[in-house]
Amino acid sequence: MSEPLSCHPAPPPETTDRPFLNGLWRQNPVFVMVLGMCPTLAITNSVRNALAMGLATTFVMVCSNGMISLIRKLIPKQVRIATYIAIIATWVTVVDYLVKAISIDVYKALGAYIPLIVSNCLVLERPEAYAGKKPVGKSLLDGLGMGLGFAFALTCLGTVREVLGAGTFLGVPLFGKDFEPWVLFLLPPGGFIALAMWLLTFTLWRERKEKIRRQAQQAELRQALEVIL
Amino acid sequence: MNSSGIPMVRTLTVVSLLCGLLIVLTDVNTRGRIRHNQEIIMRESVAQLLPGIQKQIIYSIEPSGDLTISTGLQGDGPRLFAGYDAGGRFLGVVIEAAERGYADVISAMYAYDPDKKVITGFKVIDMKETPGLGNRIGSDPEFTSNFKSLDASEGHPIATVKHGTKKNPWEIDAISGATISSRAVGRMLDASVKSTAPVIAHNLDRIKRGD
Repeated sequence: MSEPLSCHPAPPPETTDRPFLNGLWRQNPVFVMVLGMCPTLAITNSVRNALAMGLATTFVMVCSNGMISLIRKLIPKQVRIATYIAIIATWVTVVDYLVKAISIDVYKALGAYIPLIVSNCLVLERPEAYAGKKPVGKSLLDGLGMGLGFAFALTCLGTVREVLGAGTFLGVPLFGKDFEPWVLFLLPPGGFIALAMWLLTFTLWRERKEKIRRQAQQAELRQALEVIL
Repeated sequence: MNSSGIPMVRTLTVVSLLCGLLIVLTDVNTRGRIRHNQEIIMRESVAQLLPGIQKQIIYSIEPSGDLTISTGLQGDGPRLFAGYDAGGRFLGVVIEAAERGYADVISAMYAYDPDKKVITGFKVIDMKETPGLGNRIGSDPEFTSNFKSLDASEGHPIATVKHGTKKNPWEIDAISGATISSRAVGRMLDASVKSTAPVIAHNLDRIKRGD
């Protein structure tokens, strides 16, 4: 059977011994796996929103990955999704309460976004693909890496959209009064355009790196053959 | 039930109980802090809505229409915050209000001048409206400028109108792209003024004296 068509290149194989770096870079949830598009497009109209959402998601992912991994051997295959959703929804609720109790300022920044974490398919995908099969330590690192990778990608998008759409970075004006903000970048189409730009940049960079790696391998092979012959 | 179903039921039951326990424990341990934080937010909001305020008295509105002085934010009944300056001069009242928005209930406070019968300020306390769209009701300067002097006298209901079509002092100019949330604010203020303004008018002398 021929390979199915895909709009983006297949992610590189997972390096199981480095779960943290996998999530952060090699298998970045947004730039490589293209997961969690709803919050990625919806709330990256400013750097502050993007960072807040990324960090709250990281916390939920670490906690839910850890708990799921801890009880993974007790979860029958047929009810695993229902179990994962119950655990994730619980941690989202806990985060909501904790943030409300700990700091008013953080709650003001994060409050509206916390319930949206439940709708992020990335948070459900990691238990299914990783935490449901791996030990607790690695699952915690996977949650941390994926969460921070998600926060990094959101911040990249938020930066482009806020700088071009409002002429500010974290609310600080960057240009003079004559700057005419490109408001399109704050609106939904701007989210798609900014995402496409980042995906293109990241994919081209990855392909270039892969090409260099292949050329180096071929050179090594040639040298080895020359030595043998 | 066959034997293969038992582990599923067992797992789901245990996980549900664990999750419920976790939420209850978090709720019990954070309730006091959350209430304390809410009280701070309320007091800050009252101070923002009534500039120059030095003293405030919280009144609870009883179902009979009477006012009783409240010492804190306990209880669920509607509350009035009467504000006074350093010389004890009455500045106005701040009223709590809530209305169903696009995503969930929008809780807000607004400043009301009972002598002129106008709303002089509006502030959202809690909402879950769509970030970037509906949640602009709390931050959009153009929208909040509707409440600098919004006519709340009897005879014409406070109403939200389409963006750019405001003609009368009792109309609220909606945010383009956030019509549902903007309309919710209009409904909220109209209902709240209709139910609270008569109570304030009836007790105005007492509120001005601060007793």
